[in-house]
Amino acid sequence: MRSLVLSRLAQLVLVLLAVTFLAFSAMNVLGDPLFNIVGPLAELDCDAVSRGEIASTSSSLDATRTDCEIVAEAKAEFRLDEPLMKRYVLWLTDSARGDFGTSFASEGVPVSDILKEKFPASIKLMIYAEVIALGLAIPLGVYGAYRANRRPDRILSVVSFGALAIPNFALGVVLLYVFGLKAGIFPSSYDSSSFRTELTSLFLPALTLGSGLAAGYQRLLRTDLVTTLQEDFVHMARAKGMTDRHIMFRHALRPSLFSVITVFGIQTGALIGGALVVEQIYLIPGVGRELVTAVVRDDFPVVLAGVTIIATAFVVINFAVDLLYGWLDPRVRAKS
Amino acid sequence: MKTLGRPFWIAVGWLMLLTVLAVFASWLPLEDPHEIGAAEARLGPSSSHLFGTDALGRDVFARTIFGARISLLVGLLAIAFGMLVGGGLGIVAGYFRGVTDQVISFCFFTLLSFPALVLALLITATIDRNQWTVSLTLGILSIASVGRLSRANTIVFAEREFVQAARVLGADSTRIITHELLPNVMIPMGALALLGMGIAIVAEGSLAFLGLSVEGDAVSWGKSIVDGSQARDLENNPNVALFPIGVMFLTVLALNYAGDRVREYFDVRETAF
Repeated sequence: MRSLVLSRLAQLVLVLLAVTFLAFSAMNVLGDPLFNIVGPLAELDCDAVSRGEIASTSSSLDATRTDCEIVAEAKAEFRLDEPLMKRYVLWLTDSARGDFGTSFASEGVPVSDILKEKFPASIKLMIYAEVIALGLAIPLGVYGAYRANRRPDRILSVVSFGALAIPNFALGVVLLYVFGLKAGIFPSSYDSSSFRTELTSLFLPALTLGSGLAAGYQRLLRTDLVTTLQEDFVHMARAKGMTDRHIMFRHALRPSLFSVITVFGIQTGALIGGALVVEQIYLIPGVGRELVTAVVRDDFPVVLAGVTIIATAFVVINFAVDLLYGWLDPRVRAKS
Repeated sequence: MKTLGRPFWIAVGWLMLLTVLAVFASWLPLEDPHEIGAAEARLGPSSSHLFGTDALGRDVFARTIFGARISLLVGLLAIAFGMLVGGGLGIVAGYFRGVTDQVISFCFFTLLSFPALVLALLITATIDRNQWTVSLTLGILSIASVGRLSRANTIVFAEREFVQAARVLGADSTRIITHELLPNVMIPMGALALLGMGIAIVAEGSLAFLGLSVEGDAVSWGKSIVDGSQARDLENNPNVALFPIGVMFLTVLALNYAGDRVREYFDVRETAF
């Protein structure tokens, strides 16, 4: 078990380095950070100005500094003259300490402050979605396995096949239209004034995210349960005269939850992506909306920090799920 | 005798119909999907405007058909790119094993360590977005999953007798890969291609909601849906969002179903006994 943890930990560090480097270089190589800070001034040939070939100019916005001074200051502040690798290492060490630099768009505001207030809403939404997903999937998975290949099971499998084919945003728009706007049962915008209003206003977005997850979990759990129900220990329990309910929940359910746990980690990625989109539809002030605003304003430090935090969280969750899996399933433990 | 079944052909028929409409959209008697104020704004569905009109008086049916052009093209190109790069790398990794395999597998693992949409956001945020670059971005997302499947399949087939026979007969690696492995690995990949195309079409829609789909006045399903999704528009004329959603849903469903059937149809393990 210990060597498993260590080798996975080494892999985790390696992957985190690769992920952060990819994100950092994509932002810096594909994009043009200087242009995003100073705008058209980035085109200015300041070497020629300093050699006296071109007259020094000064924009009307800031008469105290020449244009070239503005460019030089921006380059110094965001270390744009350093080589990519050096900038990456500096950025990484700062980020590890929670310092993601300052925003391009709102001058001087630390990126960490901008993101800090946006994360709670997104995290609440995702937890709510998982609760709904598991709350739907476990009972329906058990029921599907209990009635395997009979009519209720067939109906459930058609429904979950359909639910998997509905894109998040499509379901979000349809639910918003039917329950939010037409029937008016749920508020159509986010309201965090009290726990109750939060619970009701996040219900539709969470259901949007949760139904796809639920369909995935349900199919998996049903299949695994059907296999487990053919095991000897289940026949034994049945021979001893135990009720179906007892067998299902006390004997068969726990060993059938393994693949749901594995998929839980992988699905988190889809959940995060879904949350980004659903926040747009229901106007929830979370990380997704902040990222989109930052993208529109070409505010790279915010985009980079948001992407890095999300990707790191995703990698760490999958790492934790892997360990949990090894801890729960004796077979995996034995192999390592 | 296994058959693909009638629902499979219905799904294929739907996809063919859409493709034909999309390809010949310019020659069909459709209204201009871009012209603002071409008709009265916010009309409900009628015989002259099958899907109604949007807030700018554009015909929603025409926009859906023209949108199919971009959406289907993006889906097709994305998965084609993913197949080419991911499939190729997967075969190389699975055939040569060793260090090559470790490096390629690590790259796949890193790509999969991003939540897909976050990676798409990262790339599309920094580039000019036209149908080619958006397709390319979505194609990059599919590389890892396609690659892992092709690697796994290659490993299975590389041990089989016909591959060993070819090797004994003196075939070099290139020949073994192109003549022995590729045709066998292609079949399960075909099913994945159909599923992947559906995923890419949905991903374009998600990008549209983030404002990161194709730029300019190009129409896609995602962009049409976003147009009709503001709370006020949705309440007063839901047809603008709901019709493209319906068409997209049917398309994704058809692709998923066809992919599933193809996979079952060619699954040799099930028919072996």
